[in-house]
Amino acid sequence: MSLKTTPFHARTGPLSEGQAWRRWAGYVVASSYELSHDREYHAIRNSAALFDVSPLFKYLITGKDAARLLDHVVTRNVAKAKVGQVLYTPWCDNEGKQIDDGTISVLDERTFRMTAADPTLRWLSLNASGLDVKLEDVSERTAALSLQGPSARDILQLAAERDLAALKYFRLTSAKIRGIPVTISRTGYTGDLGFEVWVDAAQAVPLWDALIETGTPYGITPAGMLALDVARIEAGLLLIEVDYFSSRHALIESQKSSPLELGLGWTVATDKERYNGRDALEAERLRGPSWQFTGLTVDWDSLAKLYADVGLPPRLPTQAWRTSVPVYAGGRQVGYATSGGWSPLLKRYMALAHLESQSATPGTELRMEITVEHRRKQAAARVTPLPFFNPERKRA
Amino acid sequence: MSAGRYDAIVIGAGANGLVAAHYLARAGKRVLVVEQHQALDPSADIGWVPPQVIRELQLGDTLRIEQPDPWLAIPLEAGQTLELSRDVATTAAAIRRVSPRDAERWPEFCARMHTLASVLERLYLAPPPDIESNSPGELLRIARLGLYVRRRGKQAVIDLARILPMSIAELLDDWFEHAALKGALGALGVWHLKQGPRSGGTAFNFLHHLVGSPSGVFRPARSNITQALSALGGGNPEMRRGSRATVLVKNGRATGVVLANGEEIAAPLVVSSAPPRDTLEPIAIELDPEFARAVRNIKSRAVVARGTLTGADTANLCVAPSLDYLERAYDDAKYGRDSAAPYVEVQRTNGRVEVHVQYVTAGGDALSRTVARLLNIQPSQLRLQTAPASLYHGELTLDQILFMRPVPGWSRYRTPIEGLYLCGSGTHPGGGIPGAAGRNAAREML
Amino acid sequence: MKRYDVIVIGGGHNGLVTAAYLARAGKSVLVLERRERVGGAAVTEEIFPGFKFSMFSYVVSLLRPEIIRDLDLPRHGLHILPLESTVTPMENGDYLAAWADHDETRRELYRHSPRDAEAYDEYGHLMHFMAQAVQPILGMVPPDPTSFAPSDLRSLLKLGKHFRGLGGERLHALVKLMTMSSADFLDEWFETDVLKATKSASGIIGTFLGPRSPGTAYVLLHHYMGELDGVFRAWGFAKGGTGAVSESIASAARGFGAEVRCSAGVSKVLVKNGRAAGVVLENGDELAAGIVVSSLDPRRTFLQLLESKDLPDELVADIRRFKFRGSSGKVNIALDSLPVFTCMPDGAGGRLHRGAVSISPSLDYVERAYDDAKYGEFSRRPYMDIVFPSMIDPGMAPPGKHVMSVFVQYAPYHLNGGWSDAKREAFGDAVVNTLEGFAPGFKSKILHRQVLTPADIERITGLSEGNIFAGELALHQLFFLRPAPGWAKFATPVRGYYQAGSGTHPGGGIMGASGRHAAMRILKDGGGR
Repeated sequence: MSLKTTPFHARTGPLSEGQAWRRWAGYVVASSYELSHDREYHAIRNSAALFDVSPLFKYLITGKDAARLLDHVVTRNVAKAKVGQVLYTPWCDNEGKQIDDGTISVLDERTFRMTAADPTLRWLSLNASGLDVKLEDVSERTAALSLQGPSARDILQLAAERDLAALKYFRLTSAKIRGIPVTISRTGYTGDLGFEVWVDAAQAVPLWDALIETGTPYGITPAGMLALDVARIEAGLLLIEVDYFSSRHALIESQKSSPLELGLGWTVATDKERYNGRDALEAERLRGPSWQFTGLTVDWDSLAKLYADVGLPPRLPTQAWRTSVPVYAGGRQVGYATSGGWSPLLKRYMALAHLESQSATPGTELRMEITVEHRRKQAAARVTPLPFFNPERKRA
Repeated sequence: MSAGRYDAIVIGAGANGLVAAHYLARAGKRVLVVEQHQALDPSADIGWVPPQVIRELQLGDTLRIEQPDPWLAIPLEAGQTLELSRDVATTAAAIRRVSPRDAERWPEFCARMHTLASVLERLYLAPPPDIESNSPGELLRIARLGLYVRRRGKQAVIDLARILPMSIAELLDDWFEHAALKGALGALGVWHLKQGPRSGGTAFNFLHHLVGSPSGVFRPARSNITQALSALGGGNPEMRRGSRATVLVKNGRATGVVLANGEEIAAPLVVSSAPPRDTLEPIAIELDPEFARAVRNIKSRAVVARGTLTGADTANLCVAPSLDYLERAYDDAKYGRDSAAPYVEVQRTNGRVEVHVQYVTAGGDALSRTVARLLNIQPSQLRLQTAPASLYHGELTLDQILFMRPVPGWSRYRTPIEGLYLCGSGTHPGGGIPGAAGRNAAREML
Repeated sequence: MKRYDVIVIGGGHNGLVTAAYLARAGKSVLVLERRERVGGAAVTEEIFPGFKFSMFSYVVSLLRPEIIRDLDLPRHGLHILPLESTVTPMENGDYLAAWADHDETRRELYRHSPRDAEAYDEYGHLMHFMAQAVQPILGMVPPDPTSFAPSDLRSLLKLGKHFRGLGGERLHALVKLMTMSSADFLDEWFETDVLKATKSASGIIGTFLGPRSPGTAYVLLHHYMGELDGVFRAWGFAKGGTGAVSESIASAARGFGAEVRCSAGVSKVLVKNGRAAGVVLENGDELAAGIVVSSLDPRRTFLQLLESKDLPDELVADIRRFKFRGSSGKVNIALDSLPVFTCMPDGAGGRLHRGAVSISPSLDYVERAYDDAKYGEFSRRPYMDIVFPSMIDPGMAPPGKHVMSVFVQYAPYHLNGGWSDAKREAFGDAVVNTLEGFAPGFKSKILHRQVLTPADIERITGLSEGNIFAGELALHQLFFLRPAPGWAKFATPVRGYYQAGSGTHPGGGIMGASGRHAAMRILKDGGGR
């Protein structure tokens, strides 16, 4: 036996030059198609990058009580969302600790599509007792492509033969691409102008072909997870199991985080009745979270000096890293960075970090551990609000 | 909504509901009791009534507790019977005719079991010990309990640890040889359980039903406590019969109940003596899903049919001729069938002859025929009703007692819904001890 | 006559562990084994020419890693190879598989129930925790709750603190595990019957209980224990069979200077003035020692090797009451070629035969197997746990041929009418015929078969009533009640006479913890000098 392949594998498989694959939710997906992921990254910010995001867990929630169930589960107010809206939202356990995050698409008043990083069917059904609602795991049935970058709209408009200018940030619409029914949502994981296209798995390959064909004059570039990782750090977007642990998988209490501690306070509704974690989150909001999730910019001169001290030029990470790295303030550890890397666009060394609240004010000067020639050093790093990169075209 | 007339609403007018209602009323609260059945159930309340309840609610004049002597007759081959009397020596003499060895052991068995039951008795008259708590008071209470047990002697400590998880079959095999005697005693170990006598934890169930019994009597007491409580006058608590009530919740707090006809009655305190699952499932959306899951996981499987027998002058009788007989009766139930040869017990109370049949899930005419055959009567003399779920609102297995009852961590009669309390058999100490849970719950609320 | 510091009766793995630790501490130690080889129930024998079998115990899961490290067992030949998967054939021709890879297992479970696939992860998570919570208990000498001795009270207090430190959710889960039936416990998690069946089957091994009997949930934990201590996926085979485990411990013991004598059965322990003075061999020879350790089961340790006058009446009564009730048998089969299972004809590219095959197609199937035993018959259609050691260690069979180890439950020791040669063969036939149903053509591949009933296990290994755990692992026979209240700390009422077998805490499996505890106790007491 082997791992599952996505519905696009017939196309993505032959593209892989270095056979660089990685696992994502039981599927194989490309780390990068080319031997280096550089060009794929620049496509995100320069033209348009095409990602296969089919491994996302996808659920269809239908019925009279569908919104009620979702409102019971997630922190945002689903009942207030309009048809055609997409909500990014975390969801929590009863203690207000985050289980996962994903999106909810309001397809109509009684039909919602939820995406999740972890399997969520059981959690939804545990919450659904007594409700008139149907839960369907459509993960395998639904394929998804993410088209991200400044040219994304041009390509998609051409392919769908309709104007997408009216499709606002975090809204969705149904459309046809070469006769293939799709849902297009203006969402993504890059913090850029971008769209995700949802399609029946059986139509996946023709959809891919249509987008590639239409997009080639615009520089469309199939891209893998390595490029995506850099872009999502620039955008300050969380990655589960890397930047935080699901409270259902955490081994000890201190591994859990609340949305307030993860910089997601804006997603925690204050205008709805009971939902999982409400009491705990309200109390936490009142006393203020003890942790913050924020950006760090490593000071270039400080970094250069650490290398110069051993006679080397500064060495930069060629890929985004995902290890836990201590962060200090005046010799005391005040937090840890969980992702980081070099932004080729911003020309800066950035990291995402959990910091004790008193050390998390933007501009605070801290020190982050860097290993230079086998020895642990500390480089100066400044607390930077997220996102690092936020182009106007994202929402325009 | 009729606002403000009541301080508390009690759901269910069984012994526990009424006991809780009366304690609340005595504390000056205006109480309404809502009961789904119109008529008063004439059947006996089975189990020891704690003397505290009798004293504190002044039930002395109206409460009748049956004290049958002999308390059980065991049919033997050739039309003989073995009679078990309240007097230990008399019983020993009777047993001697069938097994001198068992007769020899009878007095010590009675004494040892009585000691263990007395430990449970102490545990049952208060909320269960909270083993998670770090409060000095609670730790002291646990330590005192340990000391109490230790003072019963070294043997009591060993017996407790060894016997509680045991099967009643193992326990009885250790002591006795006579099959019918073991069958009759073993029946008490599986009473209201979907377990056979060879299942672990049935020795605990046996001891549970000994609580409050005098040494040498191995059947729970029978009384009219529900009727006695219903007859207590004074207009507070008020009674509303023939209405089924569901709890109303607003913003995580109980605000009252809604009746089947849609009428809403407000009260800041709602106390339910209904099964925890029946009370909490309809408001699952208001609960932590993990708590709701724990409620759904309460094991409360149907195993018993109960009813009456008319036109026969029968002694208190037990049909469970051996432990194997009970075990085979259970085997049928394991695979979802009614026992082909069930355990049947007949007990007279207050002129009525009541019948207990186990293991039963379906019931019906076929069951009546089976039971009639076993009792040598006509099926038409029987009126049997199969319970849809455990009559104890949750089986008394080791994982569902003390701080695990009704669900782990919520054994103090509270629920995650502020102002909603539970006080029925589904809470500590469980079924078969009418009034104990009601009293404990009321004391927690006050 | 040479006088030893310590004589260890019984050369099973626990006896050998005790001997090795004591020899390592500088004691002169003699191990006396009744059979012609060491190992007890952990022996490898070439039953048929060219075909070697782990005759009784066949998987190594719980062998304490500190023993492996302390005694440097890999240097003495120990190599544990992983057993990676379990396939459960179902009666409808389908199967349920648990593979080594998480994603693959998830996908397989998803096929049966999407919800169970998710529950499986959370269940595994909880069980992992529970195993972590129980581990310290296995590693501790049980306190005596009836004693007022400061050390016992301290130890009890420590235990209480440990449990309370777990926090509500886990504490409650632990109570459930200790008291529930595996079927009920699994019902709270899963809906797929075959998943519950195959999991609960692991909860009944070696017990005289069915999956619906309370007290079986606890054994579910054992599957997760091995993953602690950094011994990931510790279920496995010892290269060369389980006998190689015993041989490696014996070799370590010898390396420390211990003497291991086979074909030397002991008939009595010599007691002089209330203290152990040595042993009398079956041939009448007397050997003197300051310390005598019995690694035999409690019945033999107390009732056979001693006179009851040497013991308090209470203890004699307790040991008489101690339950053995062997419930399992073993069928060792030499195969011409591997059987083909209908549910998975391609054997998943060899993976099926490299892992375990569990014949537990439904909860009712396993429960019915128990029903037979409850009334004194062997199961007509038994639960079986099957492995093919030659697939993992090719040295176990001639090239191209295979050995198959079939653990069978239930086969009650107290069979109606008793065991006879005819009954043994009938039992073997029940096993083979049941398997033929799942793997047609299986019978024709059998070259030889050896059927071992609990009576045979008792006769060969000496384990009373053929109980593979030297006494049932029931809740009321664990911890400070194992083997008897007041005597769970490896000492006995006879000064200088100690117990070290699986009949003491924690007991069960090829674990070695009892033997190690006993050695520590002896050293603490001064070790015979």
